Amino acid sequence: MRSSFRNKVLGALALVVVAMPAVSGPMGFKDSWMAMGDFSPNWQEAFANYALTPRDAVGASTLYMRSDDLSKSRQLVDASYTRLVKRWNQPQAQANVWFLGGLGNVTGNDFSGFKAMASPGIQVDYETTRVYASAGARLYRADGINHDYAFARLGFSFYAVDYDEIQPWLVVEARRMNGLSDKTEITPMLRLIHNRYFVELGANNSAQGRITLMYIF
Amino acid sequence: MNKLIFSLVLAFAALPALAATSIKATVNGMVCAFCAQGIEKRISSMPATKAVYVDLKKKTVAIEAKEGETLDGKAITAEITDAGYDVVKLETVQKSVEQIKAETKGRK
Repeated sequence: MRSSFRNKVLGALALVVVAMPAVSGPMGFKDSWMAMGDFSPNWQEAFANYALTPRDAVGASTLYMRSDDLSKSRQLVDASYTRLVKRWNQPQAQANVWFLGGLGNVTGNDFSGFKAMASPGIQVDYETTRVYASAGARLYRADGINHDYAFARLGFSFYAVDYDEIQPWLVVEARRMNGLSDKTEITPMLRLIHNRYFVELGANNSAQGRITLMYIF
Repeated sequence: MNKLIFSLVLAFAALPALAATSIKATVNGMVCAFCAQGIEKRISSMPATKAVYVDLKKKTVAIEAKEGETLDGKAITAEITDAGYDVVKLETVQKSVEQIKAETKGRK
């Protein structure tokens, strides 16, 4: 079961990498801090990192995960490392491959104490001023725990804007998490970008609200 | 004679605007304001920079020099590269950032 899920994730990622190079990245520019939050009833994540170089950032994150039936919950606190593995800058587009890694402790309501958890992952994205696509997979592994995670996003902006104007986007995300949910969560979101502000608001196919925020200092 | 003096006065009044020097960089990969803010922030902090204008549609960044200062094209390229983008062309223009911005907005 675990192996089958992993194979599906790797297969999907391979397809994505072949089909398209990737979105707003998980780190800011050199010497900047990035703060990010992703909040919904079953997934609550807060994350901050500092870009040591144009390609490397270190930080910390906290993630609360809950199963669809509310019976199981996890709380992960970890140190993170983000690496821009490859970037393609084109006249009208940008594409990226990212490595995401985390090492920390997880607690849960179905076991006592805490366990060491590793969370390596990969993300690819492709973006123009009007189109955005990304996909990623991340392993969340601890002793006796496997919450491997995968997502794909596709979006478009309603119109191109100047640098100092608000740009609205419609983005749809599909994501799955092994061991906590047996269905694919689909979330259409309205994304608004204005300079250093980035906000997404949506509701998933279980009628749960969601908000994501990003800010670069 | 009066016409000559009037013309000279006009010419001197226009001198500061004519003297404004800017560098216009054409940048690959600049597709969203959230990502491109690094360019503005890094270049704004350079000592010779008076003003910066990012044009997402034309994929250019205009940088105006402070009076008496000279812009360093190599340093500007390095800052844009550190922000994560590729500079494909640099040109010096005798215009202020305000003039470049007005021209861009006026064309819409």
